[in-house]
Amino acid sequence: MIEIKQSSPYPLRGVLPTDELMLSGHLACQGCGAALVMRYALKALGERTIAVIPACCWTIIAGAFPYSALRVPLFHTAFETAASAAAGIKAGLEVLGKGDITVLAWAGDGGTFDIGLQALSGAAERNDDIIYVCYDNEAYMNTGIQRSSATPWRAWTTTTPTRHPKDEPKKDMMAIMAAHRIPYAATASPAYPEDLVRKMQKAKAIRGTKFIHIISPCPPGWKSASELSVKLARLAVQTKIFPLYEVENGLKWRITLEPKGLPVEEYLKLQGRFRHLSPEEIRKIQETVDAEWARLVAKAKAEAS
Amino acid sequence: MSTKAKAKELAPDRVVAFASEREMPPLAVSLGTSLANKTGSWRYLRPVYEEKEPPCNHACPAGNDIRGFIALILKGKLAEARELLCETNPFPAITGRVCHHPCELECNRQKLDEPLSIRALERLAGDEGYNGKGLRPPRRRHKERIAIVGSGPAGLSCAYFLARKGYQVAIFEAERKPGGMLRWGIPEYRLPKAVLERELALLRDLGIEFKAGLRVGQDLRLEELQAGYDTIFLAVGATAGVELELPGGEAAGVLHGLEFLKRVNFGERVELGERVAVIGGGNTAMDAARVALRLGAKPVVVYRRTRAEMPAIPEEVEAALEEGVEFTFLAAPIEVLTANGQLKGARFIKMELGPPDETGRRRPMPIKGSEFKLELDNLILAVGERPDLSFLPEGVKLREGRVNDPVLVEALRAPIFAGGDAATGAGTVVEAIASGRRGAEAIDRHLRGLPEPEPEREPVLVPFERINLDYFEPRPRAQGRALAVPERVTNFEEIELGLSLEQGQLEAERCFSCGGCNQCDNCITYCPDVAISRHDDQYEVDYDYCKGCGICAQECPRWVISLVEEEK
Repeated sequence: MIEIKQSSPYPLRGVLPTDELMLSGHLACQGCGAALVMRYALKALGERTIAVIPACCWTIIAGAFPYSALRVPLFHTAFETAASAAAGIKAGLEVLGKGDITVLAWAGDGGTFDIGLQALSGAAERNDDIIYVCYDNEAYMNTGIQRSSATPWRAWTTTTPTRHPKDEPKKDMMAIMAAHRIPYAATASPAYPEDLVRKMQKAKAIRGTKFIHIISPCPPGWKSASELSVKLARLAVQTKIFPLYEVENGLKWRITLEPKGLPVEEYLKLQGRFRHLSPEEIRKIQETVDAEWARLVAKAKAEAS
Repeated sequence: MSTKAKAKELAPDRVVAFASEREMPPLAVSLGTSLANKTGSWRYLRPVYEEKEPPCNHACPAGNDIRGFIALILKGKLAEARELLCETNPFPAITGRVCHHPCELECNRQKLDEPLSIRALERLAGDEGYNGKGLRPPRRRHKERIAIVGSGPAGLSCAYFLARKGYQVAIFEAERKPGGMLRWGIPEYRLPKAVLERELALLRDLGIEFKAGLRVGQDLRLEELQAGYDTIFLAVGATAGVELELPGGEAAGVLHGLEFLKRVNFGERVELGERVAVIGGGNTAMDAARVALRLGAKPVVVYRRTRAEMPAIPEEVEAALEEGVEFTFLAAPIEVLTANGQLKGARFIKMELGPPDETGRRRPMPIKGSEFKLELDNLILAVGERPDLSFLPEGVKLREGRVNDPVLVEALRAPIFAGGDAATGAGTVVEAIASGRRGAEAIDRHLRGLPEPEPEREPVLVPFERINLDYFEPRPRAQGRALAVPERVTNFEEIELGLSLEQGQLEAERCFSCGGCNQCDNCITYCPDVAISRHDDQYEVDYDYCKGCGICAQECPRWVISLVEEEK
């Protein structure tokens, strides 16, 4: 590893790990949520980590040959193969007696919800010992903002223009992963780095397949101001659109941050991709969010009793 | 050369170049880092750390660094908090009790829940930050001697700041003991004498000489003062009650507010009847009514406007009401009723509010035929104070700063400065302290031959809208312990008992720290470009890599970071 002076030789906000394993000079857009979450994830996992990245924004962000923005080894792989490539690398490491190295599959929502779902399901079914992070910016952003199955209902993308906004709801990826009964699945948000780091560290300590779903604001794709990325990541949580919770063994659901329950409009109105919404559509989104939240609370309660 | 060997020699921020295809590795592998990309060139907005003025500091007449001392309390550093306050105010333990706290009226926090309890925090620093040791006398740097006439807050403050600058200072006080209005204008239950004595003792440590019981103009002529001193500072206060033109006003049983307070404060047993009316709506009226209550009377305050126009500190009005003082608004006395020179009662007339007068308050106008009578044992007049300037040549008026009245300049050789209520008419402790400090600075400039300072530029104030409320939850303001009404109305014990250190720290946590960095780390934590670093208490932006997304400025809870357009 190339020696570089760390930029934070003390714990940020008193608690966040000091390691800076992501470097400046990466090629993410201004205000990129995906860059921020990589920074936190590597802080949590430390330098004995290998990142496996399929086609996604991070393919670009990490920099072109012969440069890398990560201070840990990074393996670029094909779009549909993040989970299987990561599982293979882990198997190889174990053969080499280096099983302590964490293998981190790092994919966007396209590579997770759509194209990589089969490989991910396979790895989860085999309970391969990897951490799979989906940084979810809710569309194929680096190819030009095409809709994915993670794109929310009625959001604008270049393939779901405002005259024909997306008519399908966002796929419930967490429920799919929980149904695999993997040992650990969790959601996280860059607005809450302490929660994110705690979940990554918890995942690192567990053997088997771990899935972390991170909301990842995208200023160009969401048509939002670059300075609002953290605020949007916070509002996603506080409006219950993207609640923070974790699931152990697919059965034990736990909400890790009690949201304020702000109106969804607070979140929607800051993003150009929702600007065309009618009050009726906003009301429907609110109803859906409230119903989903009630279901989540019921799952968390069922386990607690 | 192997690629491995080459990678080791690479500087992390260097561009990797190959002279020929043969030098390239057989597969795509990174040889350098992204630090080679100076992404700062993408930026069109530059984040800059730029502290701004909090509204509390701006509102403080004394110029206290309120945000600063609260930050020190938060860290539990009470002695340092007191020291910081003492840079601009010699008596944090006193203003921490009696100040009319304009800072709290401007506090941004009130738009979220309630203003910070700044006065109580100042008292905590003033009381608990005092380490029991005296002050070290400053080095005597100047040979000039300065005489200060009047030992109220303005005179004491001027003396304090001059002594700190290294001058020899003597204070002349007409009464037997120094303190002026602090000693005899403010009742014990608001400002205990023990606190005053402690703060005065600290001034003695600075080498300030107190000459009490010498009334300038009576025991000592002003002309005699200038023989021994290079400069004179007049801070004689506003000690004379404003007279009401009331028929029968000279009857026995009619008292003047300040005179009444002074007699009680000096330990005299003042006999009052039960039925006492206090005329006025200012702090003297409130003090007189509450003192009368403690002496066994059932006072009623008669004020010619309404509660909204009362110049008294609202908390004092509230406390008077709690204690059972009655109020009659929109009425004024027109005649004192007497029998054999003794007060028997008074005739009043009801008022209504007309258009605003020159003070901006609505002018009270008598309502014809609305007269009414009250039977009274005492009538206390507290309708305002004015300076007693009888020791000066006829017709001399004082204003703050160097006195250039030709009559006085003619009469005296030594330059004279004036400050405090006698010169400003402001009427509050903190404004007197501020005036005393300005006096000390003006005298220093005069004696050292220094020019007038450039007027300070109007600072950038932090408006409430610039506070990031994502980081603050409503939380009630700290309530210090206080004596309950039955425990306090029969005696002169101090009512407010102040905040504990724990309460104070909880209260300090409520401070937005508007415009002042308190190292919350949000900027560095949320930077997607890892372009901010921290060195002790300072943050630094690496403009080689900062792309100017603005997250640091947006997520700064207190508007320390500004975004400035890059020059093309």
